[in-house]
Amino acid sequence: MATNLRRLYIFTGKGGVGKSTLSKAFVRYLVNNGSDAAYLTFKNQSLSETHHDLTSEFVGNGIKEIYLDLEDAAKGYIERRLNSKMISGWIVKTPFFRALVNMVPGFNYLIYLGKILELGKENPNLIIVLDAPASGHALTMVESTTNFQQIFESGVIFEDTHKMLSRLNDPSYTKINVVSLPSQMSWQEAVELKAGLKQRTPVEVDITVNNCLYPLLEQNLLDLPPGLKEKILNEKALLEEYKDQMQCVLPHSLLSHSKDIEMDLVGSLSKLI
Amino acid sequence: MTIQNKSFEIFCGTGGVGKTTLATSRALNLASKGSRVLLVTIDPAKRLKDLLGLTGDFEGEVTTVEINKIKLDALLMSPEKTIQRMALSNKTPDLASNRIVKILSKPYGGMNEILSLVEVQMQFESGKYDVIVLDTPPGAHFLDFLEGINKIKSFFDQSFVEIFSFIGTKTATAGKKMFGVGLINKVISGGMKKLLSYLQRVTDAKFIDDFIQAVQIIYQSRDAFLKGLNLQDRLKSRSECNWFLVTSVEQGKAQEAIEMKAHAAHFIHHDHFLVLNKCLEKEMNEWNPSDSKLLAIKNSLEGREKELKKNLKANFPIVLEFPEIMSRDPLEHVNDLTKSWNNYGT
Repeated sequence: MATNLRRLYIFTGKGGVGKSTLSKAFVRYLVNNGSDAAYLTFKNQSLSETHHDLTSEFVGNGIKEIYLDLEDAAKGYIERRLNSKMISGWIVKTPFFRALVNMVPGFNYLIYLGKILELGKENPNLIIVLDAPASGHALTMVESTTNFQQIFESGVIFEDTHKMLSRLNDPSYTKINVVSLPSQMSWQEAVELKAGLKQRTPVEVDITVNNCLYPLLEQNLLDLPPGLKEKILNEKALLEEYKDQMQCVLPHSLLSHSKDIEMDLVGSLSKLI
Repeated sequence: MTIQNKSFEIFCGTGGVGKTTLATSRALNLASKGSRVLLVTIDPAKRLKDLLGLTGDFEGEVTTVEINKIKLDALLMSPEKTIQRMALSNKTPDLASNRIVKILSKPYGGMNEILSLVEVQMQFESGKYDVIVLDTPPGAHFLDFLEGINKIKSFFDQSFVEIFSFIGTKTATAGKKMFGVGLINKVISGGMKKLLSYLQRVTDAKFIDDFIQAVQIIYQSRDAFLKGLNLQDRLKSRSECNWFLVTSVEQGKAQEAIEMKAHAAHFIHHDHFLVLNKCLEKEMNEWNPSDSKLLAIKNSLEGREKELKKNLKANFPIVLEFPEIMSRDPLEHVNDLTKSWNNYGT
């Protein structure tokens, strides 16, 4: 397989653009081509007062899926730093720690990203495909390491965030794929998100346009009802106008189950490497 | 089907469903009927920002905009500006100048949700508006947004007593003034001291000082933060708030809308509406392809939409349907949707 594979692929974009399906399809693609890859996403955004799910890891439909739990990730980090399971268990249960983490969402992302890089270190061949939070939250996530570096200024956490930052910002380690739909609004938002990400990180950021009807209906424009025809023509105009900025254009899948759609997409994903 | 007028209207849903455009069109529809409306939006696309004139210096400030001769006030959330307003109205200037608070209230520092609750409550108290239309952040995060109120409360309830009991004589005196001597004496200081000593092992002394200062400053502004709590009751109240859960045919995710409703069950009362955006039904009804490939595509699109509607109607008391607007111009989107609201108006 190509030698320019990265270790971390981040998929983001507005909700409902197909991030999860695409991330999973991409894991399939990597596995089919001989890589060790896993799908990873965040289970929760805050520490729940009532229940505590554990991080779960399983093989679903033939691919490895990891659902990270925030409390687990935080506990693991503190344990490594203070060399004590007992102390870390106590700290994450203190109301102050919990309240602080929940008040400051950037903190969550710092904890999660730390855990992802740790997984990458433990398993030097693993490629992680991160199904990341939508738009604004992706910016918060990417910005969190920088913000916390500024906050801490020195000390062990500072050094750790510094290491994280150099990994995340290393173009040979990380790549970000912004997913968009073929509509003007969705496209504009993807372009804005890409610009926002580029301001915050030097890694490659590319846009993939998902669920396109135009290529399927290209031959039959005259047979369409007026509204649908306009929709397709808008799509066509968009796809042609911004062709150079679209790394990958994926067709609407006629299948209906998410696993089948994933399989359907696998063949078109080589450009996302 | 008529939607009653309330003091608050909340739009939530996964991103990319047209939530902000729908909220804008709703605000315009209400304004066109004579209501004094404030539209609060958190993370709109640039084109909508342009349309509402909320760019540059207007970011974070209430701005009167006119669209097709309809006037309304709009506010694009800026955490930094909200912090400044809080500092001003509470006479706690340190809040706006503390280093840590400043970093966290950058546009993507992560404080957006909590501060928008505070902001909405401040705007409501101004008495200037008949209705505040609130466009929440996308996705599962809208739940975080709702939980924001509880987060504020637990932060002030649980943490400060602990921290003030630790911070030595100088602050303890201030703490006594705030809590009364009786309470502070009852506090067991061990936990916090231990926690900060661990923190010092992984950071440094300067950070601990800055951090304690930030916490003190935030505490001084607690009244302003806790105002967000009043909002919670209003949003829960059937007579004060309409909830709109938005999804779109394009996304075809009934399950997400249903989960969203289940998660938010303790916030959302019976007056909630499922808004299904970007319906293609009209186009599909007019389309009779003869070609078998086209028929397959028609069936795929039509089938997904039908299945979605069936699913939604089984799970929500009222489903409002809005058509997909086939235009590249956001103004046209807003105008067409503003008219569509008349189907559900008084």
